[in-house]
Amino acid sequence: MALEAAVVEELRRIVGRESVIDSANDLRIFERDASIEGAIPDAVVLAASTEEVARVIKVAAKHRIPVVPRGAGTGLSGGAVTIRGGIALQVTRMRRILEIDTVAQTAVVEPGVVNQELSLVAASHGLFYAPDPSSQKACTIGGNAAENSGGPHCLYYGVTTNHVLGMEVVLADGSVHWVSGDAPDRIGLDLCGVLVGSEGTLCAITKIKVRLLRIPPSVATLLAAFPTIETASHAVSAIIARGIVPAALEMMDHMTVGAVEAHYHAGYPTDAGAVLLVEVDGIAESTRELMGAIREVLEENEGYALREAQTPAERDLLWAGRKGAIGALGRIKPNYYLHDGVVPRSRLPQVLSAVGEIGEHYKLPVANVFHAGDGNLHPNILFDLRDRDVLQQVEGAGEEMLRAVVELGGALSGEHGIGLEKSAFMPWVYSPDDLDAMQRVKRVLDVDGILNPGKIFPDPTREQVHLAGRTGLAIEAKWW
Amino acid sequence: MVVKGPHELGGFAVSSRGPLIAPVVEKPATAEELARRLHEAAESRSAVIPVGGGRAGGMGGPPLRCDVELHTTNLDRVLEHSQADMVVSVEAGITLEALQAELGKAGQFLPLDPFNSPGHTIGGLLATGWAGPLRQRFGSARDFLIGIRVALPDGHLASAGGRVVKNVSGYDLMKLHFGAMGSLGVIVAASFKVFPRPLHDITVEKTNDSIEDAWDAAGRALDLPLAPSALELFSDGRVLARFFGSPDAVNRMVAELGWKAAGSSLWAEHSRRGPESWARISVPRNALRGIVSGLPEGAQWWASPGAGIAHWSFGDRLEDVRTARAAAESAQGSLVLMAAPAGVAGELGAWGTPPPTLEVMRRIKRAFDPDGILNPGRFVV
Repeated sequence: MALEAAVVEELRRIVGRESVIDSANDLRIFERDASIEGAIPDAVVLAASTEEVARVIKVAAKHRIPVVPRGAGTGLSGGAVTIRGGIALQVTRMRRILEIDTVAQTAVVEPGVVNQELSLVAASHGLFYAPDPSSQKACTIGGNAAENSGGPHCLYYGVTTNHVLGMEVVLADGSVHWVSGDAPDRIGLDLCGVLVGSEGTLCAITKIKVRLLRIPPSVATLLAAFPTIETASHAVSAIIARGIVPAALEMMDHMTVGAVEAHYHAGYPTDAGAVLLVEVDGIAESTRELMGAIREVLEENEGYALREAQTPAERDLLWAGRKGAIGALGRIKPNYYLHDGVVPRSRLPQVLSAVGEIGEHYKLPVANVFHAGDGNLHPNILFDLRDRDVLQQVEGAGEEMLRAVVELGGALSGEHGIGLEKSAFMPWVYSPDDLDAMQRVKRVLDVDGILNPGKIFPDPTREQVHLAGRTGLAIEAKWW
Repeated sequence: MVVKGPHELGGFAVSSRGPLIAPVVEKPATAEELARRLHEAAESRSAVIPVGGGRAGGMGGPPLRCDVELHTTNLDRVLEHSQADMVVSVEAGITLEALQAELGKAGQFLPLDPFNSPGHTIGGLLATGWAGPLRQRFGSARDFLIGIRVALPDGHLASAGGRVVKNVSGYDLMKLHFGAMGSLGVIVAASFKVFPRPLHDITVEKTNDSIEDAWDAAGRALDLPLAPSALELFSDGRVLARFFGSPDAVNRMVAELGWKAAGSSLWAEHSRRGPESWARISVPRNALRGIVSGLPEGAQWWASPGAGIAHWSFGDRLEDVRTARAAAESAQGSLVLMAAPAGVAGELGAWGTPPPTLEVMRRIKRAFDPDGILNPGRFVV
């Protein structure tokens, strides 16, 4: 539904004529993020400042129009999809790094700053920004904060919320606030902590103050092959049981390794049932000792063809394979559907075998490439959108995989967010009282429900999901 | 019903304007029962003070009312410790020491070493947000709290998070309850990501002739490529540093510093500090030295320079506290009373200037505790 001409005019007065997009053709570009479901916004507003964001939200509040903040649109759970129409509030023009304080080791950035760009700029001061989603070449810090994004190095360093010191946010009434800041132990409720990861449903983020870390002087990266996913999973648990928390501990299955090797020629062992990529960083003594211990553990657990990167270029190549794995899978099928469940680490073999069985049942290839150290799996269901009725099969398979995750005591999402994709499954994990407690926060901060409506919480007006009849199992899966 | 004198009220300093009738003491044995008691109190508009170990009972403003003390001490079970997953779920009333003993059996630990130990309960530590020297390396419990279960005044039990180390399913209500002084609900259980005991754990110390030398020494240690996991600086010029890591790495750092070896029992001793009247100064790391240097001559304090935190045993120097608070607040930080006689907390204010987002916080408070029965007067909302 198009916005009333008068509303469009109001928006144009705020951001300028060219910065409001409302022609049908142009709007299609903003139909999707990197997830499956799309919806065309009624208008796209390209905001260039906090003031513009605030004024746009005020207009939306006045007319009760949905507003969906949007960064690079790389999200994987439909967080940036305007499912109820309204305004896609694009913040990628706000892309200045406002401050890097090398003494305090902090940076203040606008939400449209690209994740990798921040680390590149910080690197000239010997610093880096730790959360490193695989989409870091494109995704924005604003999107990262809204989704509480992770990445391979979160095993040791923690996820986005552990690195955000404070934010400037615009609430649903258009008011602008700073929440938290560099001093620890702020007075009052930790609004910043709740707003990080709220997926655009509680606020639009206009500035982010993040912690930067010193680049470790030494990094060691090792690739190891395993006969099976099970043996690789046991090796993961064994490393951690030895008292070692590597900076990253990533797994790729046989199918992924094949695609990655064909694409990157990184020397991945294509005969392996699974491959582990292990990285430790710190001072030289530390990486040497830890890597020595890790090698022992891997070999004790049937690891073979151990290969340690000897140069930064080799390390980059090993990582290019991991970070580019999803693109490489395009060699097998043109489309993918990527899930993000998390299980207790010791349940990895069980959940991966369930994932394999589900793929076979639906006759869909499934490639696994994931953060093994965190128990955060990423099954990629591969398909060709041109195949008839395939989408329904893909969604069915994905849903069953998440079901398996929840039944093993896991969570629906480790780093992608709930968004649109998994909102119907929230009752699998949370009781009505749990969800009500979360929604109380939503109701008081966004009284009219204009901020990113239809996300995170089950939407009773949407079509029931296929396995809805099984939600009775939720209580058994409860974690208390 | 046992009638107790004010000094026995679970360690709470009740305002002189406060209750003349002694509160009812409830010690429920299950989370469900606790939620029922809380709901009954809410129905009758009775003011409830949740009590854990009572170690932080002096924190916050003097309660305006106290009709019911709701103790979590009987909720003291380990619900599940999954050693391979390095995750633990516990009831809120378990003491930190009991939890560490359980984790220790598996060579694991929770990197929490709060002051005024021992005897803190997990629920109390989460509600107050207290942390100790290990915060330098591990952050506060905010950083490794992965799930929470809270009894709400309407009688419901609401959980958030889960039992996995990485989770973005729904709002992060762990953060909302962390440090909220039980103002939104009573924490009944929590799950944590736990850590393997360090391969090597070495403590060194340096005594300094002047406090300026001590700050410089602390700065040098913090600048090492393998920074200490804890570093404490004391007003007598002593600096204690604790290194965790692989043996060669730790040994090289210790050799580079050249400080004197010290026993790790010093840390247990340090954690017992809990003066009668003390305050926590929290400021951006860079501002700490300046603020602490501005404390009056002869002040007794200890600081975590890497975290931007200092604790100060301020005795009865109220005017000095006001001055220090003004300095901390002008550096965008805070000075909070950790414990003080009721009259002092009443006069100084426990928290200082409320944040500009106070109205937003109040809206959230009303959504959870519409009648304001939880800890009235103690917190900022």
